[in-house]
Amino acid sequence: MANSLEFRHITKYFPGVKALDDVSFVATGGEVLAFLGENGAGKSTLLKTLNGDYQPDEGQYLIDGAEAHFKNPHEAIEAGISVIYQERQILPELSVAENIYLGRMPTKYGFIDTRRVNQMAQRIIDDFELPISPTDRVHELSIAYQQMVEIMKSYSRENLKVICFDEPTASLSDAEIECLFRIINKLKAEGKIIIYVSHRMSEIKQIADKVAIFKDGCYVTTLDAKTATEPEMIRLMVGRDLGDIYSSLDRNKQIGDVLLEVKDLQSDEVDGVSFRLHRGEVLGFSGLVGAGRTEVMRAIIGADRMTAGEVYLEGKPIHCKAPADAQRLGIVLVPEDRKTQGILSNLSVLGNINISLLRENSNALGFVNARKEAEAADRGIQDFNIRTPSPDKKIVELSGGNQQKCIVARWMETRPKVLILDEPTKGIDVGAKSEFYHMICEFAKQGLGVILISSELPEVIGLSDRIIVMRNRKVSGEVMREEATEAKLLSLGMMEEVAK
Amino acid sequence: MKKLKVNGNLIVLTIALVIEIAAFSLLNHNFLTTVNMVNILIAASLVGLVAIGHTYLIIEGQNDLSPGSLVAFLGVLSSLLVSNGMNFGVTVLITMAAGVIVGLCNAFMVNRLKLEAFIATLVTQSVMRGFAYIICDGKSVGIMNQTFIWVGKARLLGLPFSVWLMIIAFIIGGVILAKTRFGRSVYAIGGNSQAARLAGMNPQRIVTISFVVMGLLCSIGGIVYVARMQSGQPSANVNLEFDAITAVILGGVSFAGGVGNMGGTVIGVLLIQTFNTGLNMVGIPNANFWQYVGKGGLLLIALTADYIRKVNTEKRLLAESKKAR
Repeated sequence: MANSLEFRHITKYFPGVKALDDVSFVATGGEVLAFLGENGAGKSTLLKTLNGDYQPDEGQYLIDGAEAHFKNPHEAIEAGISVIYQERQILPELSVAENIYLGRMPTKYGFIDTRRVNQMAQRIIDDFELPISPTDRVHELSIAYQQMVEIMKSYSRENLKVICFDEPTASLSDAEIECLFRIINKLKAEGKIIIYVSHRMSEIKQIADKVAIFKDGCYVTTLDAKTATEPEMIRLMVGRDLGDIYSSLDRNKQIGDVLLEVKDLQSDEVDGVSFRLHRGEVLGFSGLVGAGRTEVMRAIIGADRMTAGEVYLEGKPIHCKAPADAQRLGIVLVPEDRKTQGILSNLSVLGNINISLLRENSNALGFVNARKEAEAADRGIQDFNIRTPSPDKKIVELSGGNQQKCIVARWMETRPKVLILDEPTKGIDVGAKSEFYHMICEFAKQGLGVILISSELPEVIGLSDRIIVMRNRKVSGEVMREEATEAKLLSLGMMEEVAK
Repeated sequence: MKKLKVNGNLIVLTIALVIEIAAFSLLNHNFLTTVNMVNILIAASLVGLVAIGHTYLIIEGQNDLSPGSLVAFLGVLSSLLVSNGMNFGVTVLITMAAGVIVGLCNAFMVNRLKLEAFIATLVTQSVMRGFAYIICDGKSVGIMNQTFIWVGKARLLGLPFSVWLMIIAFIIGGVILAKTRFGRSVYAIGGNSQAARLAGMNPQRIVTISFVVMGLLCSIGGIVYVARMQSGQPSANVNLEFDAITAVILGGVSFAGGVGNMGGTVIGVLLIQTFNTGLNMVGIPNANFWQYVGKGGLLLIALTADYIRKVNTEKRLLAESKKAR
């Protein structure tokens, strides 16, 4: 009988969010089931509730029809459920064999029987047809082989039933992906249940038999991977045709003179970037993660040190040594990572909105005017439609989208000239996304220069008047709105990688 | 418009203090007397001053282990200066300047050398204790200066100078923390220093100011302590910082930073000092030594309470998000 793993009404809450909402479906052995969904759709959370890292608030798991419950990942592994994460969970200083049999090495007279460990490991390595030795130190192996060691570690358990891969190919080359797929197919042939989380459509088509689609914490449906089309999958993932959102936007038509000019900017992370931003313009920044987009902005506002180059605001040269300088000049940044760089988690909504207004809100002695703060908070909550029961609510109690709105409100209250948004819609739900898009257009109409860094191609194409593409710390191209296509941005952003 | 915020934690602490006083009063009938209460305040005054500095630093996510030896050093320094004929006013100024310099050194190590405050101030603790002994050849320095001695003896409305200083410092420190731009910045950088910097703050400057304030508080504390003892002793005030930190944590300041208020610290200081004095008065053998055990116990209770509060907040947040949908 084939193995089976049933998810039954799995529900999981985090403060401010329902991360998983009544998820029910069945995975069967001998099949590769892909999880597909946007960031924050709940795929990783589901894996973590499966392997005992999180406890589901409601629902249960049935393995081969029997209810299973794991208090921690260790119990899950003992029961034959393994999750291979992006971050390696191996000990780099130990050998391949030691990693595979960590914690259950065979002993002889109370000492570890190294020879037997190595023999056992060699058998698995042979099974996997890998060119490594059991005695190799793991840190000397490539990332891909390190990942293989982790897989072998799971595989070496005789009772392995379920093996989950969380975005396994994120840091692998094409050849290495081939190798991984060969092993996944081997596991599949042995009847294991394989769950494969990925963003990459092409990969899913190649390796998966079925695709389970997730959206906003809910399970949507399962499709046959071979017959499902990409547009169909995207439509189910996003829940509606995003094309509509963009075409319904009321975009600013009047673009003014040059507001911000950057010439040959250099920092430790950026090699000579130049661009211009006009009043009323939305300037998109596209490119791969790590191409240097965020770092350009950080250097402009003085969060990182600018080592060379010039920045002009309204024609006057400026040099920001700290974000405080940029704020005084009217250049503000809504950072990419809301949790670690945006919100002040110990403060209320009111405190978060007012934190950059302390100077305006206080008198000569430094006393803060509570009435002014309350007014600014009320304004922000209204203008940006922040859903909170009260301004005194702790910001962490709001949903991601509403937290982000607080950060935008914080900056808009300072009346900036240049608003830099770094991945502003990452991890927020579709409804809030469209609110953000309307806001961005509104800001442009007010004459602000808006810089939009986004990894979502439709978003950057749908919103920007002009798009700058970065690759490997440099600008690799500039595309006007009319000429922008996903293919063009991708090729500008990845040319070197493709050539390799 | 807005009602006075009633802080649940503060109520619990006040009740704990009342119970503590009641318990010691039952055990010793001389405990609840004006003289004894004033004595408790006098004994609390130095810990109180230092705890004000710690309230700021710990909310910022920093710490300071140097006050004990710094107070001893500054005390010895001031008594040496007056013994060599220096005017009392000038002595106070020089002592304060020395406190500021040590504060700046702590800030330099934390901001520029990127040392953990715990480690950086451990360095200062050791170095300043060493200097306290070196400048006086290891011998305590008696004071003859009449102004200096007066400072230790003078009373207003029955309370000595040291207690008034503590009260005034608590009020000023509390108002600054709760009502001013600086106070808001303290909470902001304690919540998330990186985010606060991106929001236009200068976390390093705020940390520097706080260490300098601690230096000033230590110099004032050192002078008043010497005035009371009528001599500067290089071996004095060992573990002062631990009493102050315990009081601050007991008062509800989270060790992780970002949370707490001055009211809590006031009661934390009173709790600790009442406990110390009370234990001495109920006639337990080795009371001095039991104080250490007791303070450890108090700290454990405080940290456990902090943990339970945190877990409860998380539970409440989860319950609310469940209701919301």
